[in-house]
Amino acid sequence: MENREKLKKLVEDVFLLQPGEFRFDLRREEVETWDSFGVVSLAVGIQEVFGHHLTPAEAGGIKSIGDVIDILSTKGFNFDH
Amino acid sequence: MTTLSEQQVQRDPRVLREAWETPATFALLPAKMIVDSKWIANGLALLPDELQQGHYVLLTSGTTGTPKLVVGRRERSEKLAAILHRQQESEPVEETLVLLPLSYSYAFVNQWLWAECFRRSLKLTPGFNNPSAMLDAFRKSRNAMICLVGVQVPLLTSYFQGQSFPGIIRVHFAGGRFPQEQLPALRELFPQATIFNNYGCAEALPRLTLRKADAAEESADIGTPLPGIELSTNEASELLFRSPYRAVGIVEAGQFHALPSAEWTQSGDLAQLTDRGSWRLLGRASEVFKRHGEKISLATLITTVTSTWAGQAVFYRERDARGEDGHVLVLAPAPAPGQLQAVLLSLRRNHGRAHWPLRIESVLALPLLANGKPDVQATAAREDKTLLWYQRI
Repeated sequence: MENREKLKKLVEDVFLLQPGEFRFDLRREEVETWDSFGVVSLAVGIQEVFGHHLTPAEAGGIKSIGDVIDILSTKGFNFDH
Repeated sequence: MTTLSEQQVQRDPRVLREAWETPATFALLPAKMIVDSKWIANGLALLPDELQQGHYVLLTSGTTGTPKLVVGRRERSEKLAAILHRQQESEPVEETLVLLPLSYSYAFVNQWLWAECFRRSLKLTPGFNNPSAMLDAFRKSRNAMICLVGVQVPLLTSYFQGQSFPGIIRVHFAGGRFPQEQLPALRELFPQATIFNNYGCAEALPRLTLRKADAAEESADIGTPLPGIELSTNEASELLFRSPYRAVGIVEAGQFHALPSAEWTQSGDLAQLTDRGSWRLLGRASEVFKRHGEKISLATLITTVTSTWAGQAVFYRERDARGEDGHVLVLAPAPAPGQLQAVLLSLRRNHGRAHWPLRIESVLALPLLANGKPDVQATAAREDKTLLWYQRI
């Protein structure tokens, strides 16, 4: 599975998104389930799926899916089409 | 003291009548016992002399799995059977089909004793152990009454989908959550039946309130108390009752406890009185807890789950990796991916993340207690559960 698809599936699962709700430009304030525990869940999921352990600063700084992609891209993950 | 087993009664129901008509107190025990015969003998030996005549004893495990002997006075239970006959509009009922163990106080009073008192026909069936025999009994029924527990509805609808049984004119539910959202399916199965939600507990032996299915829209509404029964709540919303029909004592943890008539007794549930005078359950006292500072009611969550899931569902309690109280949802049988998503979205729509289960698992069928209720402890202990979803927390 490509990284884009892996990330989409993870975010849908963590925040219980409805079909069609996920977008790669989705922002935290658009998803009511993206609460503080959601952030923890997302961080655990990123560790599970991508093997990258987010630092507290990285996790706390995530405000959008784009931020996740930016962090993982710096670790060598490719999110291009 | 005479002890009768469910198997003996299944073989020859007359032994139960003989025991009831004999002055000496007797015990009726389930086929599958959660305790051994020594536990029973020791428990029965604790009954005071005044309870050695005119009473009967049932073994109950309740939903917690903790065994206890419940002692009832025959005269009281006969009076309750008469009240039930009137309140449940049972005069037109000619026969009752038994689908639950008779040693279950609900079936014992609502069906066996009622049939004895009102000289109606009692038909024992193997229940869901033999669906084809049950189907045959349903088809042959005539002006019949059945007593079910809510968790049996998915079995009914899966075994008998598309069929209807007009010979069944009264359908009673007790012993757990009332399947309000399954009423359309139940009406297809039993088009001529009046459906009742009965509420009570083992100490009540067994009934406290009653309502017709149509009299309320939510499962948690248990209706109003039967004549002579009083309900109240304490500051913690624990539901208390006083009943002239209730058990006179229980044996639990190696001790006999008398239940004086004038004392208020806890039913084990939390409840509130509604504006229209009926009572509304808020959950089992043991099934309401705090998670991340939020009050979690498993009864409320089950209502959310079953609003989109027609199969069996039960929660068991578990602490998460941080030591915080949590809960795990088990569905049976395994849902299709779309059904799982519907359950998850329903949880998201109705509850914050603290209320979401730690995991969602599935099994082919939930293990049941002898009284037909889900065996929560056995469900939690099952090693063949399939993990469907989990909170990464």
